[in-house]
Amino acid sequence: MSSDINPTLHTAGLAAAEAALNRALELAPAGSRALAKLEDSVFALHCTAPELDIFLQPAGDGIRLMGLYEGPVTTSIKGRASDFAELAAASDPAATLINGHLELHGDSASLIELQGILSNLNVDWEAPLVDALGDVAGHQLAEILRRTFSWGKQASAGLSRQLEEFIHEEARLTPPKLELEDFYQDVHELEMRVERLESRTVRLRKRLQEQASKV
Amino acid sequence: MSAKKTTHFGFKEVDKDAKAGMVADVFHSVASRYDLMNDLMSAGIHRVWKRFTIELSGVRKGNSVLDIAGGTGDLAAKFSRIVGPEGRVVLADINQSMLEVGRDKLLDTGHQGNIEFVQADAQFLPFPDDSFDCITIAFGLRNVTEKETALRSMLRVLKPGGRLLVLEFSKPQSELLSKAYDTYSFRILPLMGKLVANDAESYQYLAESIRVHPDQDTLKEMMQDAGFNRVEFHNMTGGIVALHRGIKA
Repeated sequence: MSSDINPTLHTAGLAAAEAALNRALELAPAGSRALAKLEDSVFALHCTAPELDIFLQPAGDGIRLMGLYEGPVTTSIKGRASDFAELAAASDPAATLINGHLELHGDSASLIELQGILSNLNVDWEAPLVDALGDVAGHQLAEILRRTFSWGKQASAGLSRQLEEFIHEEARLTPPKLELEDFYQDVHELEMRVERLESRTVRLRKRLQEQASKV
Repeated sequence: MSAKKTTHFGFKEVDKDAKAGMVADVFHSVASRYDLMNDLMSAGIHRVWKRFTIELSGVRKGNSVLDIAGGTGDLAAKFSRIVGPEGRVVLADINQSMLEVGRDKLLDTGHQGNIEFVQADAQFLPFPDDSFDCITIAFGLRNVTEKETALRSMLRVLKPGGRLLVLEFSKPQSELLSKAYDTYSFRILPLMGKLVANDAESYQYLAESIRVHPDQDTLKEMMQDAGFNRVEFHNMTGGIVALHRGIKA
């Protein structure tokens, strides 16, 4: 925990966040089952702006959020809140970890698995809505929410795809990913050739010096 | 053995042998409404204080934990889940009524298998030496007749490397907060006790016992004198409550 933060406020904030997260997990049983595989792992999130430390531990009955943890951690990541938000929303967390500004220590595979589980939580809102509003109204509202989320997801994916196509193909503002990977491959090969050429040159120069000394 | 024959009971000076019985009467009286009154008096913040205690305890799966003056079992319930089936939690309280309320609450909420309930005096803990990885005492130490004896007893039953956590009311760090807190404690608290638990006197004792309890630095010294190492404390809610932690070397 950051020393600047009042432990009461920090702990209260974590308690509220933990309760909300665990309520969502209760309504997404597939997510809970997937999390059980990460039980005993501890993820340390050190946020530098705002300054805040959070330790996240998947447990059999949900997730524990702690402000303090003095044992060994599975993965430790450090960065600003915006970097963490970028990782949370990333469709390719590995690429975000490599190219982003987060500093990572420990096991990245567990972290990527956790990010995948939490970002793909399929929360079924129908049960609490039916409990609160009754069978008919609850079911109808859940159906509306489901359709809205589904439409939102599709629209967002479609927009993202079209935007990518426009940037790569129409406007040619940046090269497509495959083209870029191909380019990097060429650069890598060129680098290897240059290194080989350099070592040949060194060898040749050495041989010439040896011959000159004999003469 | 201390030569002093009297001790505090709130603002009153009473015979040492009488204090335990008088404290017992207070808790027999409030046991059935203890949780409700805690929530009302602290606006639910006591749960946050206890949560921070659990974080600082560092309790892990398989640990053995003693919760002294465990009352209605808030901490014991959380520890029971953390230590798992291979761990052990002992909920101890000197007061039979509080222990019964705690035992019923924990069993009713499915906490069993790794919890034991023991009626015990914190000054004379009935456990072998080096038995526990962690001991907690939340809002209980100020009711103990001889705190020094209790701290030494806790040190004895802790394993080397084990932690003692004392969560207790303490001294507010600002003058303004201190005045507001005094008004709340001596005017509003007994009134709430009267309205909700029909027992103003017990809550008057609560307010008085907090004022005569050692402040942060004094309790730290007492823990060091008892033999604890690396003693530190964290103020919470402006010092209204402090969490002390000491390690057995």
